[in-house]
Amino acid sequence: MDSDEDMHDANGSESLEDDFYSEDMGMESDDGDADYDFGNEETDDDAEDINLHRQQNYTILSESDIHQRQEDDISRLSAVLSISRVAACILLRYYKWSVSTVHEEWFANEEHVRQVVGLLENPIDIPNVHELTCGICFETYPRNMISAAACGHPFCGACWRGYIGTSINDGPGCLVLRCPDPSCGAAIGQDMINKLATEEDKEKYARYLLRSYIEDNRKTKWCPAPGCEFAVDFEFGSGSNDVCCKCSYSFCWHCTEETHRPVDCGTVAKWILKNSAESENMNWILANSKPCPKCKRPIEKNQGCMHMTCTPPCKFEFCWLCLGTWSEHGERTGGFYACNRYEVAKQEGLYDESERRREMAKNSLERYTHYYERWATNQSSRQKALADLHSMQTEKLEKLSEKQSQPESQLKFIIEAWSQIVECRRVLKWTYAYGYYLPEHEHAKRQFFEYLQGEAESGLERLHQCAEKELQIYLEADSPMKEFNDFRTKLAGLTSVTRNYFENLVRALETGLKDVDSSNSQAACSQSSSSKSAYGKGSKGGKNKAARSGGPSRNSDDDWSCDRCTFFNPGSASTCQMCEHHQ
Amino acid sequence: MANSNLPRRIIKETQRLLSEPAPGISASPSEDNMRYFNVMILGPTQSPYEGGVFKLELFLPEEYPMAAPKVRFLTKIYHPNIDKLGRICLDILKDKWSPALQIRTVLLSIQALLSAPNPDDPLSDNIAKHWKTNEAEAVETAKEWTRLYASGA
Repeated sequence: MDSDEDMHDANGSESLEDDFYSEDMGMESDDGDADYDFGNEETDDDAEDINLHRQQNYTILSESDIHQRQEDDISRLSAVLSISRVAACILLRYYKWSVSTVHEEWFANEEHVRQVVGLLENPIDIPNVHELTCGICFETYPRNMISAAACGHPFCGACWRGYIGTSINDGPGCLVLRCPDPSCGAAIGQDMINKLATEEDKEKYARYLLRSYIEDNRKTKWCPAPGCEFAVDFEFGSGSNDVCCKCSYSFCWHCTEETHRPVDCGTVAKWILKNSAESENMNWILANSKPCPKCKRPIEKNQGCMHMTCTPPCKFEFCWLCLGTWSEHGERTGGFYACNRYEVAKQEGLYDESERRREMAKNSLERYTHYYERWATNQSSRQKALADLHSMQTEKLEKLSEKQSQPESQLKFIIEAWSQIVECRRVLKWTYAYGYYLPEHEHAKRQFFEYLQGEAESGLERLHQCAEKELQIYLEADSPMKEFNDFRTKLAGLTSVTRNYFENLVRALETGLKDVDSSNSQAACSQSSSSKSAYGKGSKGGKNKAARSGGPSRNSDDDWSCDRCTFFNPGSASTCQMCEHHQ
Repeated sequence: MANSNLPRRIIKETQRLLSEPAPGISASPSEDNMRYFNVMILGPTQSPYEGGVFKLELFLPEEYPMAAPKVRFLTKIYHPNIDKLGRICLDILKDKWSPALQIRTVLLSIQALLSAPNPDDPLSDNIAKHWKTNEAEAVETAKEWTRLYASGA
């Protein structure tokens, strides 16, 4: 992606070793340093910025839309080149539905184009005789039972049907069907198909033709969701790669995986490969097993003494520590249950290499497991939230509207909260893939990342808890409760706070955490808690102070942490700048 | 085999193959299965196969002529496009098949393949390599094989 370069430039002194740190979705403006201080007046501008990103740069096409576009292109080309619609369709399909390419080629060398595509300039009529012999079955037929393409090669109806049917059943290659005469090459268009094929084959052909409009075109793709029939027409060169289909599935245009902002496609591909790869099994085997010294099968020692007996047919008996033959063990080597040979050899450094390797593999496996678990948990949590959102929309909202005697239009905040949860779970999930690939030695970035992730995560936990548990009370209530209005304010507040946290997280990761470039921010971040411990419900003040690395001047003792959303406000504000709750 | 409902096309082709055989080619249907043909092709002059008589079998599948006939050399032959099982690498027997082609055209194409081996699209890698690195020697081997296996016994 070309924006990579810009990112590198903008990052100046930062040396970005791995491609994936410089996002290929670089759409941030590089002028101002992104602001992680949620509480100042720039927040509004930022919000606008984000709205700009969300401007759609794609169109979702239904089957009838596709059909319409296809027809329009054909009509237009047929008018411009003064050729039949069938010929226009053949040309467009050959040149991957690119009207401009057809124009270019056609006006450069019409004769050549006609030849390669199989469009005869002067159609040849079937000889004007009473009876004709079919070139396939060799039977003689009256002229009216014989058909031919523009080349005039005569074949009977049954043979045409068979010829076309065979080709259609072989797949989309039927779209480039030529006259059966091997020396000919005249194109067979849809008009011939419709005239000669069976109903079933006509339908199949029409499907292939429709599909080719999407699949051959660089600008269009099918939505990858199972069973979804929409296609997407994507406008290159602007904004995000994220596409949200009408079927509600969101995917990345570039790699067609599920949307993965703020992580880039390369990381996602690596991560998915890693999750499925045998390599993880191998790491486990390496870390937790030793090969039998005789038959070399991996053995996991799950308990007991050092005396190992390999499973049949090998049955080799050996010492787990030194991997030597057990029969050689005894008094001389330190007794049966302690291996002196091992201790001595270890001191001499003989076992170090393989031991270290095993140790490393074990560590790397644990590290991977840490991130994978969290990735997978957020994934399933998102699925659950998606189901909850659905049940909310279909039944619970109505019920709640009854119980609390509120019009459904006043309950939109609940749907908004759940939509936010679903989106946040997705982002959070991918930040764990990001974290896995963030190099260990980039301490400052790591800490800053874990801090942002932790903040976002705890915000999300509060929101999720509120939407799940607290809402339940109002759903089960016998009569309308006056606390419902407070609940509304709280949930709406949490939704907006969490949204802000996540927008900051996404922005920071998409710019490759470029704000971390001084020892000063490292020091500031060092107070922050890691993602693992960030669930903490107390000590909010401390954590929030750490966030304010950008502006030390704002660190006054009057600063306060909002009771409701935990946002850390400057002393000058009397209401929370995040949720407008009073101090 | 239900020879009785043999398509007219196959009957016509068979009749024509018997009444007007192509030069250097003979094809006759088996008595008990009219879809199975015993074929003989004479090695073309000025090819390493000159003087040889090559036996082939040809079978017309149920879908014929919508599907290509199945053809295989029975006589051992040293040729880059024919493997040791006698299978032939020829486009019109695969994706370039057209129902307007016939047994006759297929056999003529095979005959032409003997005149013009194509080591760039090989079926047998070893023979093709031999052909490309030392054509003279490969041609000698082909002649040798023709003498050994195809001398009209």
